Amino acid sequence: MRLLAAADRLLDRFYLWCGYAAATLLLALALLIITSITSRLLGVYLPGLTEYAGYAMAGSSFLALAHTLRAGGHIRVGILLNAVGGRVRRGVQLWCLGMGTLLSVYVAWYLVRMTHVSWQLGDRSEGDDAILLWIPQTLPSFGAVVLAVCFFHSLVVFLAGREDPTEAPGSVAEGEP
Amino acid sequence: MSELGLTLIFLAVLFFLLGSGIWVALSLTGVAAFGMLIFTPRPVGDAMATTMWAASSSWSLTALPLFIWMGEILFRTRLSENLFQGLTPWMQRLPGGLLHVNIAGSAIFAAISGSSAATVATVGKMSIPELRRRAYPERMIIGTLAGAGTLGLLIPPSITLIIYGVTVNESIVKLFIAGILPGICLALMFMGYVVLWSLFSGQRAEREARVYSLLEKLRAATQLLPVILLILAVMGSIYLGLATATEAAVLGVLGALLLSALQGSLTRDSFTASLLGATRTSAMIAFILAGSHFLSLAMGFTGLPRALATWIAALELSPFALIAALTVFYILLGCFLDGISAVVLTMAVIEPMVRAAGFDMIWFGIYLMIVVEMAQITPPIGFNLFVLQGMTGKDMGFIARAAVPFFLIMVLAVALLVLVPDVATWLPENMTTVRNAG
Repeated sequence: MRLLAAADRLLDRFYLWCGYAAATLLLALALLIITSITSRLLGVYLPGLTEYAGYAMAGSSFLALAHTLRAGGHIRVGILLNAVGGRVRRGVQLWCLGMGTLLSVYVAWYLVRMTHVSWQLGDRSEGDDAILLWIPQTLPSFGAVVLAVCFFHSLVVFLAGREDPTEAPGSVAEGEP
Repeated sequence: MSELGLTLIFLAVLFFLLGSGIWVALSLTGVAAFGMLIFTPRPVGDAMATTMWAASSSWSLTALPLFIWMGEILFRTRLSENLFQGLTPWMQRLPGGLLHVNIAGSAIFAAISGSSAATVATVGKMSIPELRRRAYPERMIIGTLAGAGTLGLLIPPSITLIIYGVTVNESIVKLFIAGILPGICLALMFMGYVVLWSLFSGQRAEREARVYSLLEKLRAATQLLPVILLILAVMGSIYLGLATATEAAVLGVLGALLLSALQGSLTRDSFTASLLGATRTSAMIAFILAGSHFLSLAMGFTGLPRALATWIAALELSPFALIAALTVFYILLGCFLDGISAVVLTMAVIEPMVRAAGFDMIWFGIYLMIVVEMAQITPPIGFNLFVLQGMTGKDMGFIARAAVPFFLIMVLAVALLVLVPDVATWLPENMTTVRNAG
């Protein structure tokens, strides 16, 4: 039990670290665009900047998924969850967490598989950067795996009798940007 | 089983997943996987992975996180005070008085922020307590904020317009430019309503007796200067063809950081908080977009969009009747879904239909923004209503009733947009051509 509690705390912190890594990638995205503007003003052509910007964004988006889930940031339709209480509500929450785990594992599995295939075949980007595709694909795949872990972790914690950890205060029906 | 039966099951699964509270992005992914399983023998998971990768690493989407970040930075500045103090001397003599500050403030903030909830929150932060202190009727304070806050979606930069542009593959720059005039028109219509209300209700709100001299007015206007410079830099660089949407967004981020630094609100903490907040919102949207691209792919196999397009074409509706039907449909949908989900979910199905009916996709985007805005202020799910509930402590019924007149004005705006489509299409057709418009 002590071990499980320690794993629980460690995972919580891990999601936040992934969130910080994602934020760093967003900063990198901004810096890439600034580089692109300045290089154009100076009349220098740096190939592949737009592709790198896209990779930074994909990496940032997926790495932040788990942290966003725990912060209640993913949009969902809250009508049913707001309407019911007690045991029914716990039943609905269980269904959502179960399906969430299933679907996120599915997404993670195939993103990892895609990256693996890119690596095996040595696929290269068709853009100016001509990078080996598995390199930028690793970050989103990793982020999807972290999300799957986070869903499963939340499901286990919920089954152990705690509140649904994906429901930060007021998270249902919130999150419009 | 017949095609029709399968289609019905497919739609039932979609609404069941969404309605039971599964996160929108995962609902879209789940129903798309299910649809591909029953309609095609193709490998589902691999198609999903490549579609999601392509959707989330696309260049045209990079403007999105940057504009969100810009809004997050500005939300943490003293902009809300600046807007209120800068606009007050100019607005207070109009019939309806400082209620106009809510509308003009929202329109200005909408031009630097892409979100309507952020617009409501920023403008309301300062104006709700100030207007209450001056004894304006609560119903009008809330109504003007709820209505004008929706301008965030229409006046560029707009997060929802970026998402629409990426989904239907149209130029984001053109969409932004197209949103300017309709946005201004809608703001003026809101103000016109406040003037009429003030003249006819006889319920003259207490006005400040104070008369501002021209010098004071001009001094107050300098408070608005940084914001206006920021708007000009971002939208001007896009309109003149100097920058793509993404480049303009970076300029916006730099400008917002500078403004925040000059006001002394830029600290290590506020910087991190804005960046992390933007990261979360972008991740949420990118995940929905990844799911919706996969859903579009699956929808293609179901034949549903094509069947719908053929069916609608066979009905030979006039464009006006079609738009009327779509408007009712979106208002109903908007009762349950937020704007972004409504856009991505429906465009997967109705894009072929709208194109087949011969609508200009730029014009349709602007139309869609107004109807989605209306959805933001219809109960039971309306994000602007939630934000206002949090800020005023009033119950949902009261807030929703206060928003009704503004909802009706938006219906009027849709009618105007249909009758005079040039409002949306004239500016983009007359702008400087942009390099790699995207």
